[in-house]
Amino acid sequence: MTMFHFFNCAILTFGPHAVYYSATPLSEYDTLGTSVKTGVVYLVTALVKLVCLATFLKVSESDIFDPSQELLKALIGFIDVAGLYFALTQLTHRNISQNHKFQAVGLGWAFADSVLHRLAPLWVGARGLEFTWDYILQGLEANANLMLSLSLAALGSLMWLRKNKPKTLIPIIYACAGFVATMPSITSYLRWGLGWHLPEVVAFQLFTSLIMALVSWQLFSACQKPSA
Amino acid sequence: MANRVIAADGRRHVFESFYSLIALVFILIACVELCDASTVVDVYRLIQYDISGAPFGSRLASLNHHAASSRSAPGSDLSRTVAVLSLRELNETFIREYIEEGKPLGGLLLLLPQVFRFDSSPAFVDNRDYMDMKKQLVYLEQKLIHSTIQYPVYFAFEDEDLAEVLADIQRNDAAGQPATATTGGYKLIVTSASPKKLAAPTITNIQGWLPGLKADGDSNQLPTIAIVASYDTFGAAPALSVGSDSSGSGVVALLEIARLFSILYSNPNTRGRYNILFGLTSGGPYNYNGTQKWLRSFDQRLRESIDYAICLNSLSSGENGLWLHVSKPPENAYVKQIFEGLSNVAEELGVKVGLKHKKINVSNSRVAWEHEQFSRLRVTAATLSGLSVAPNLLENTGGISDKSEFVDETAVVQGVKLVAESLARHIYGQEGKNINIFADNSSLAVSPSYIGSWLDLLSRTPRVAPFLSKDSPFITALKKELADHVVEVNLQHDVIDGMFTFYDSTVNTLQIYQVASVTFDLLLLLVLGSYLITLFSFLVITTRGVDDLISLFRRPPSRKAKAA
Repeated sequence: MTMFHFFNCAILTFGPHAVYYSATPLSEYDTLGTSVKTGVVYLVTALVKLVCLATFLKVSESDIFDPSQELLKALIGFIDVAGLYFALTQLTHRNISQNHKFQAVGLGWAFADSVLHRLAPLWVGARGLEFTWDYILQGLEANANLMLSLSLAALGSLMWLRKNKPKTLIPIIYACAGFVATMPSITSYLRWGLGWHLPEVVAFQLFTSLIMALVSWQLFSACQKPSA
Repeated sequence: MANRVIAADGRRHVFESFYSLIALVFILIACVELCDASTVVDVYRLIQYDISGAPFGSRLASLNHHAASSRSAPGSDLSRTVAVLSLRELNETFIREYIEEGKPLGGLLLLLPQVFRFDSSPAFVDNRDYMDMKKQLVYLEQKLIHSTIQYPVYFAFEDEDLAEVLADIQRNDAAGQPATATTGGYKLIVTSASPKKLAAPTITNIQGWLPGLKADGDSNQLPTIAIVASYDTFGAAPALSVGSDSSGSGVVALLEIARLFSILYSNPNTRGRYNILFGLTSGGPYNYNGTQKWLRSFDQRLRESIDYAICLNSLSSGENGLWLHVSKPPENAYVKQIFEGLSNVAEELGVKVGLKHKKINVSNSRVAWEHEQFSRLRVTAATLSGLSVAPNLLENTGGISDKSEFVDETAVVQGVKLVAESLARHIYGQEGKNINIFADNSSLAVSPSYIGSWLDLLSRTPRVAPFLSKDSPFITALKKELADHVVEVNLQHDVIDGMFTFYDSTVNTLQIYQVASVTFDLLLLLVLGSYLITLFSFLVITTRGVDDLISLFRRPPSRKAKAA
């Protein structure tokens, strides 16, 4: 029954990505290449982040929440944004519309993130006899992450790819983008600084990602009106 | 042409290294088998042995079942569960049904209070609770040793983790949800190879020789007095049988007597006209097999020179005084002499000594006291013990319950004084005279600290003979200690009598997993499946429209219509 549990957690963690790809028009326009390229960009970004963390961060003996260290981690987190910028603007994509480009990039980004961060713990841990809720929570976290990546990709494409945006919406777009980019730092602050337990943190992530997805959807459709 | 071949070669090389990398990754993945149990405990297995082919003890070692506790519904089928019971919860019916009558059970895990742990710091146990528990443990051990049990039985010590697990199991059982494959709960797993017979279990007898003073011109052999104690134990769990009293007290008394006499004998002016032979024998629980083999190895002259032998046994168990057990009738001159010597000293010390006579039945192979092995070879011998009744086979052999906390050190000290003093008076011909050779506060005083420290060591060493190899550090330590006091030390290695066979696998690790039931997994699968389907439909509706969703499910009828 433990392979069963592993299978369950795997479809929770990776299923939504596959479902998203097949359900939306992405599959019709064959945007798999874009997603794969974005995945590779994510990999490189993760490596760069690791190197920066190793170089600049002090190793602390205790588990206390150190604001300066967390600020540094947040700054390094912005390398993520740079990577996303690169994926959105610099990669040569096939001729796909703006609409689908950000979705493919977001999907590729989230999928690479899930595989890198969650596949190994899942393989090693979920197959054992001992039962914990951790892997199910991790799967829910992957879902939240997917929504966040899509929102970030949408806001990013609005910021960098769309030239004619309504003036009033620009600050909102940048604010939302900033909020989504700092989500990892906020999560870790909640976990280590305030001492929230994993279920509470995952619930918070799901809630905020849902809200941010709705907000960015509204922003995107609002910006689409002039050009349409 | 050559370029293409080289290119093909290069490609093949790349492929090969690629395949080997993939293979390595797969091997790595398959090898990751972490122990992720919620609790891992050291457990000690019930002994498994045969007497002349008849099996006794627990015959299995590996365990892989769900756990149940004492609160489960009476009469429920436990043949595929492990009963986890603490010592306090054991009752008569359970013991009768599952241990004696052999009702099927998946396994038994007995939890013992921490006080029975021999490697913990000694606690002061005085209250009635522990004495009752000790009695119950003795009773349980005897029942377990003498039954044939077809399921694995393990002992473990209670600690916080186990107490939590047990409370959880009891809660589930009381709520009517015993752990099975479909309802989740706790699973207990012990992985172990099937137990194998021990090939040639050795017993090692240690003998020490303190020669007496031979007068010049005297060619006759000096008479010898032998002091013997058996040092090995036998109990329900061989890894826990430390036998503080049952053979520990005898060994410690012998070592102290050796120390005192070595002081006396080191100076030729005080050396007596008797040789003293010290014997630390093994194989005690098995009808004093080791003593028999040791005696048989003596040469005739030595055996004939032995005036008498005193065997020391369980000096602390006596409720009111010690008993001298003999096999020759009390009217026998030698027996009278030994007993009078002891009683005189006993009176002075304020200790009671009684005399008990038990005839030997030569046709019966059962040897209840060590002196009987001497008597069978016509050497006068007696056993000094706190026990008043001869123990049965494998009874009072120092099991789990025989801990140092229950040993009365003052009784051991008095026993030593008794034997040493009466022996010394006999050797130096001072019987009946008012003299105290080993007086307190003299250089020959009996040392309670020596006795205490050796008792402490013995109480931390499990000494079941088949599991004690001939070069174990304990035997070497005993030999070295005896060599410090006597002139000559010899080791004799032999094999236990073929009547007894033992099996290995005495210590294992138990892993306790908290498992989810199959229904949980199926439920989760259902929930996830519906979630993914809902997500799919939602995305199709929002991005492509409802019509697309419906068209996914409708077969294309237009083609048939077109063909028609």
